[in-house]
Amino acid sequence: MTRAIETISALLLFSSLYLAAFLGLIPFPAKVQEEIIPVLPFWALVSFGAYLLFSLGWGIFTFNDTEAAYHELVTEIQQAKKELRVKGVDVD
Amino acid sequence: MAPIPKDKYSVILPTYNERKNLPVITWLLEKTFTEHKLDWELIIVDDGSPDGTQEVAKQLITAYGPNRIVLKPRAGKLGLGTAYVHGLQFVTGNFVIIMDADFSHHPKFIAEFIAKQKTKNYDIVTGTRYAGDGGVYGWDFKRKLVSRGANLLASVVLRPNVSDLTGSFRLYKKHVLEKVIQTTESKGYTFQMEMMVRARALGYSVAEVPISFVDRIYGDSKLGGDEIVEYAKGVFNLWLKV
Ligand SMILES: Nc1nc2c(ncn2[C@@H]2O[C@H](COP(=O)(O)OP(=O)(O)OP(=O)(O)O)[C@@H](O)[C@H]2O)c(=O)[nH]1
Ligand SMILES: [Mg+2]
Repeated sequence: MTRAIETISALLLFSSLYLAAFLGLIPFPAKVQEEIIPVLPFWALVSFGAYLLFSLGWGIFTFNDTEAAYHELVTEIQQAKKELRVKGVDVD
Repeated sequence: MAPIPKDKYSVILPTYNERKNLPVITWLLEKTFTEHKLDWELIIVDDGSPDGTQEVAKQLITAYGPNRIVLKPRAGKLGLGTAYVHGLQFVTGNFVIIMDADFSHHPKFIAEFIAKQKTKNYDIVTGTRYAGDGGVYGWDFKRKLVSRGANLLASVVLRPNVSDLTGSFRLYKKHVLEKVIQTTESKGYTFQMEMMVRARALGYSVAEVPISFVDRIYGDSKLGGDEIVEYAKGVFNLWLKV
């Protein structure tokens, strides 16, 4: 099953469940039926968007700067060049 | 009892205009493998670089010996994906490491990949910039945003269970790489991503090791709007296909 089929089947399943609830085929208390079910899709969409934005922001925020690795590399490059010259390899 | 065959690690290194980087990368590889007493070879796949990369490669063969350094050039710039396929033909080890020649992938992490691989006999070990102590050096906010955004898009759409889908510093069992590369269709920017998604779909086990990624010090980088569009298309295609 490809990811596309997986996603689309899940969406279909949820939307048919939702439709059944929306049309009152599933018994819910009146308050839930009138106040929660109609706004559920918007709520889901907004939550998903918020989740994505948060993940992106968090990902950028926690992206490590590996400055030490850079300095280590610069030192290694100098040593490498020294030894490579001795071995007869062209480095500038 | 039959003698246990010793592991050998073959590094496939595609190069295009890496004259300055190639010798240092080779030196670092030799250092890492020697320190950890590992058997290794380096297969350089150079696509006719005009900057004399192959001259330097020949000097390296003289310096380190033809059983360690192998040069398998191609006539013209044919792209990264096919460079791995080409290099793979000449691999004599039972493990293959693919990496870039521009220092963004430091050979010292290979030792960690190998240690990780041994813990649970993983089929693939991949470096990640996004988890644990992993990270990058030399990226501004915009570059981080694009990289994170691209990775988030792919994670949500493809759900691959790896934190760094576009990274290209990886250790494979040789037969696993052969199988995965055979089924991979895309070229260019989405190639690494497809390899990982295919590997997952084929049921191979994948482990991750955090790496510090130092962006290229010598030579030019090429990331623009076109790549971003190509990338998004690639993610969508994989969503449909895999
Ligand atoms: N043989 C071969 N090697 C290539 C080709 N294109 C890139 N390479 C090499 O592949 C590795 C990765 O290429 P890079 O140019 O660093 O690509 P990148 O890491 O995605 O992008 P930047 O580092 O930002 O430029 C380097 O070792 C290059 O020399 C190609 O067409 N043929
Ligand atoms: Mg690079």
